[in-house]
Amino acid sequence: MRCGAAILAMGALLALGAANATEAPKKPIRFGLTATVVRENLELYDHWAMYLGNKVGRPVQFVYRRTSREAMEMLETGEYDFSWINSFSYAKYRESKFFELMAVPVFEGKPLCRSYVIVHINRSFRTIGDLESRVFAFSEPDSNSGYILPRQMLSDLGRNPDGFFRHTFFTYSHIESIEAVAEQVADGAAVDSYVWEYLNRREPRLTAKTKVIQQSETFGFPPLVYRTGVDAELRARMSEALLTMDKNPEGRALLTELALDRFITTPSSLYDNVRLNIDRR
Amino acid sequence: MRFLSSLSLAFKLSVVVSLIVAGVAAAIGGAMIDRDRQRLREGLREKALHLARSVAVIAPEPLIRDDTWTLYKTLREITRGPRYAPEETLVTAMVLDSEGRVLAHLFPALYPIDLPLLPDDSPERPRLQAELGMKDSAVFDGQGFIEGVSPVQASGKNLGLVKVQLSTLELDRKTAEAIVSVLLLSIGIALTGIFLGSIWSIRTLRPLRTLAQSMEELGHGVLHPLPVSRGDEIGQLIASFNRMANELEEKRKLAGELAANEKVIALGRIAAGVAHEVNNPLAGMLNCLSTLRAKSNDPELVSRYLSMIEMGLKKIEALVKDLLIELRVEDAHEVADHSCLEDVRDLIAAEIDPARIEFTWENRLEHRDTINRARVQQILLNLLRNSIQAMPNGGHLWCRFRSNQDELVFEIEDTGHGIPPEDVARIFDPFFTSRPTGTGLGLWIVFRLVQTMDGRIEVNSMPGQGTLFRIHIPREPKLATRPA
Repeated sequence: MRCGAAILAMGALLALGAANATEAPKKPIRFGLTATVVRENLELYDHWAMYLGNKVGRPVQFVYRRTSREAMEMLETGEYDFSWINSFSYAKYRESKFFELMAVPVFEGKPLCRSYVIVHINRSFRTIGDLESRVFAFSEPDSNSGYILPRQMLSDLGRNPDGFFRHTFFTYSHIESIEAVAEQVADGAAVDSYVWEYLNRREPRLTAKTKVIQQSETFGFPPLVYRTGVDAELRARMSEALLTMDKNPEGRALLTELALDRFITTPSSLYDNVRLNIDRR
Repeated sequence: MRFLSSLSLAFKLSVVVSLIVAGVAAAIGGAMIDRDRQRLREGLREKALHLARSVAVIAPEPLIRDDTWTLYKTLREITRGPRYAPEETLVTAMVLDSEGRVLAHLFPALYPIDLPLLPDDSPERPRLQAELGMKDSAVFDGQGFIEGVSPVQASGKNLGLVKVQLSTLELDRKTAEAIVSVLLLSIGIALTGIFLGSIWSIRTLRPLRTLAQSMEELGHGVLHPLPVSRGDEIGQLIASFNRMANELEEKRKLAGELAANEKVIALGRIAAGVAHEVNNPLAGMLNCLSTLRAKSNDPELVSRYLSMIEMGLKKIEALVKDLLIELRVEDAHEVADHSCLEDVRDLIAAEIDPARIEFTWENRLEHRDTINRARVQQILLNLLRNSIQAMPNGGHLWCRFRSNQDELVFEIEDTGHGIPPEDVARIFDPFFTSRPTGTGLGLWIVFRLVQTMDGRIEVNSMPGQGTLFRIHIPREPKLATRPA
C-alpha cells in the first residue's frame, strides 16, 4: 500500500548531464503514481519530474491512476518503467518478480509509516472500537494503512470488521478520506500517517478539523520500484538520481517540499510485516 | 371639508394631480415588482429543478456502485458550485435511496448516511413517500424555500431521489427592497409634484387674483385697467375685463351727465313753476294797483282791492315759505329718538277741532329707533295737514308708527275725500294741487325728504272713503349719517 498519499512518481535520471545531450530520440520515461497527495500539488511533481529528467538525460513523465491495482497492471504490462507503489501492493506482488525494489523514502528519520484512525475534532470517540454502527471511510481495498490495518485493529478487539460499521465507502485517496471526516460525511477514517502529517504541515485546513485517535504499528514506507525489464543503465541512472537527491541543493529543496528526508535502499524484509491475508470470518 | 374648500385652488390642483401621478407610479411599480417577483420565482423554480435533475442524471452510476464518496462529491460540486447556487440561496440538497434513507446530504453531520431522512411517524413522511414513487421531476413551494425533486432512475426503475431546496428569503428581501424603493419614489414624485405644481399654479393664477381684486375695486367705482401680457385664456379674460370696465366707466359718465341734465331740467321746471305761481297773483295785483291809482278816491274799492293785493302777496309768501322749508329741512341732520314726534302730535292736536275730527296716535317705535328729527317731523306735518284739509266735514285721522329689523314705518290714514285715480301719479309733482289756496309743494317736499333718506312711499286711496300714506325709512346708519 502506498503510504504517502503524496506518492509521486519520480522519473529517475542518472545524473549524466553530458551523456543525455547525445541521445537521439528523447522518448519520455513513464513513472507511475497512485493519485493521492498528487492532485493537491501538481506543480511540485512537475518540478520533481524535471529534476529527475535532467539527471537521467531523458524526459520523465508522472502518470496517475485511480487505484493501486491499475497502477500495478500498468507496471506489469510495461506501460511504466518505474512506479511509486504502496506497501501492500509491494508485499502482495513481490513474488511475481516483474518489479524490483529501487528506493525507499525516509520519513522523520525512518523508512516507516503507520495507519492513523482519525475522527472529527468535535467528536468524542477514543478508539476505533467506539465507531460501531457508524460510517467509516477506507482509502482503497489494496491499502495497508487505509483498509487492512483498521480491519486488523477490529479483529484484534475480537470484532468482525464486516458489519461492524453501519456504512463504509472507499475514497481512493487518503486526502479525500481526511476530507470525508472533516465534512462529517464519515464518522471515522483510516489514513496513512505520512499523508496526514504532510497535510498537517503544509496546509492544515482539513487536518485541523480532524484528530488522530489511534495509531497502528509501523510498517515499511511505500517503495519506489523498477520494472525488471527496464534498461539496466537507465535503471542505474534513475536509482542514482533518487538516492543522491539529498546531496544536491535542488534535490534537497524537493525533498523538503515532499516532507521526506531522503531516499535509501533497504532489504525487502522491511515489508515482511505487511499482512496479506485479510481474515474474513 | 370646510378647511379643504378654503385651501388655495393652486395648492389643491397640484396636490390632486401629483397624488394621481404618484398613485399611478406606485401602481405601475407594484405591477412590475409583482411581475419581477413572479419571474424571479419562476427562475428559482427552474434552477431548483435543474439542480435536482443534474444530480439525478449523474447519480445512478455511483449509486449502483455503492460509491458513497463520489455521490457526495457530485451532490456537493453541483449544488454548491458558484455558478449554480450561491450559498445564501441554497437551503439544502440530498440524495435518498428508494426507502428514504440518506445516501448523501449536504449536511452529513445532521443527516448521517444510511439512516432514514425522516422517522416513520413524521408528519412529512407521507409526502416523502409520494415523492419516492414519482416518475418525473417536480417542483414544490415550501415555507421559505422552493424544492426541486428528481427521481434517480436506471432502466426505468427508481433507485432513489434527489431533493434540492433553494431559499426564497433572498427573493423576499429583494421584493421588500423594491417595494420600499417604489414607495419612496412615489412619495418623492408626490412631494416634488406638489411643490413644483403649487409654484406653477400660483404663478398661473396670480393674474386671476389681481383680476378679482380689480373687479372688487370696480364695484367701488375705482377703475384700474390691467396689463394684458399673455395670449392664453387668462389673457383673454383680462382683455374682456378691461373692455367691460371701460364700458362701465363710459356708462357711468353718461349717467352722470344725464343726471346733471335732469337736475338742470328739474330746476328749470321749479323755476318756471315758481315764476308761474308768482306771476298769476302778480298780474292780479298789478291790475289792482293800476285800478287803485285811477280810482284812489273810492274808499270802498280801495279797501276791496287792497285785500285782494294782500291775498296775492300771502300766496307768494306761502310759496316762498314752503320753498324755504324744503331747503332748510333737506339740510337737517339732527338725530333724535322718537319722542320728538310728540311735538308733531301736540301741534296737530292744536290745529284740529276735536268735535269734527277724531285723532288717533299710535306710536310703537322703540327707544333704539332714532330718526332725523327735522325731516320726519316735516314729512308728518305735511301729510297730516293734507289729511285734515281732505276732511272739511270731519272724519277720523290715524297716526301709526312702528319698526322692524330693517326699517321704520309711518302710516297716516284719513277718511277724507280721497284722491282720484288719475291724479295719484301726479300728487308728488311740484305745484300740483287740488285746492285753490294750495301751493302744490307739500307732497313734493314729502317726496323729496323721503328720497333723501332712501325711503319709499306707498299711497292707498279710495275716492270718497279716504287715503293711506305708508312711508318706509331704512334704519341707521344711512338715516343718521347720509348727507342729503
